[in-house]
Amino acid sequence: MKAWAWVVLALVVVGAITWAAWPNGGERSARERARDLAAELRCPDCEGLSVLDSSTTTARAIRRDIRDQIAAGASDEEIRQSYVDRYGESILLNPEGEGLGVLVWGLPVLVVVVGAGGLALALRRWRAQPAMRATASDEALVARERGASTT
Amino acid sequence: MRQPTRWIALAVAVVVALVGVVLATQVGGDPRADATKSQLVGELAPDFRVTTLDGQAITTADLAGKAVIVNFWNTWCVPCQEELPALRSFADAHADEPDFAFLGIVRDDTKTAVQAYEPAKTIDWTVVTDPGAKAALAFGTRGQPETFAITPDGFVAGAQIGPSTRADLETLLDAARGRLR
Repeated sequence: MKAWAWVVLALVVVGAITWAAWPNGGERSARERARDLAAELRCPDCEGLSVLDSSTTTARAIRRDIRDQIAAGASDEEIRQSYVDRYGESILLNPEGEGLGVLVWGLPVLVVVVGAGGLALALRRWRAQPAMRATASDEALVARERGASTT
Repeated sequence: MRQPTRWIALAVAVVVALVGVVLATQVGGDPRADATKSQLVGELAPDFRVTTLDGQAITTADLAGKAVIVNFWNTWCVPCQEELPALRSFADAHADEPDFAFLGIVRDDTKTAVQAYEPAKTIDWTVVTDPGAKAALAFGTRGQPETFAITPDGFVAGAQIGPSTRADLETLLDAARGRLR
């Protein structure tokens, strides 16, 4: 594969990852922010449901509190932190990028990087191996055999 | 790069070592473990405003200077019913202490249900409702019963998630008064 093809491939991969990971542009409405935050928080008194999906009194109170905090001018991070302060990290459905959360987010990336490195090394190794070329004696042997078979 | 297998083995070893280091430093630090303890212990108690059954407001400021026990409960919760005798005995033992306040905050239940709840009619401590569940959220409750001890200067000194025994309640009160058991 030509060098420029590798460059193009790398650009496509990096571009796709960046596009997928980039936060949605544009100003989000208060309603959208409240909805997104409620989807990020675990309902404290139910199993495996987000605050957005739960209908318990507590979940409804949290949804109301999120709306109140947004109306009071709090940022998403401040609202998130206000719940972590009261409930701990377990209130977040998505692990933070620290502690064990590093493993969850970082390990797949590390595996991909190491895998890509390994693949590149293997490809280089295969390319470095000498191609088999026929020597003069090989050519003579083939010519002799062909001559023998046509007569 | 004559020995690519060595490099691959080294990379794998680095990954394994990193995983090992993270796991080793996080032993006992499972974030799910915080579901069984309060994050507020040692912190300033949250401000709250609750309402007695006859409509009087009680705020954090009203409780300043007292060792306060706050118990979140409701009428339909079986563990709350089970801890009721311990709460009664504890409240009776400390009823005459002027530097002590005992607040039963109704969580996830209605004022009507509490008024109709027969055992509540003989409760001696202050029972309050929590409009909008704001106090329950402020204390980071996950259910009921949950009990918190607040020092006279407003810090959370201890918390009990789940039903309390009389001994648990005494320990909480001691913590609120700055005494170690």
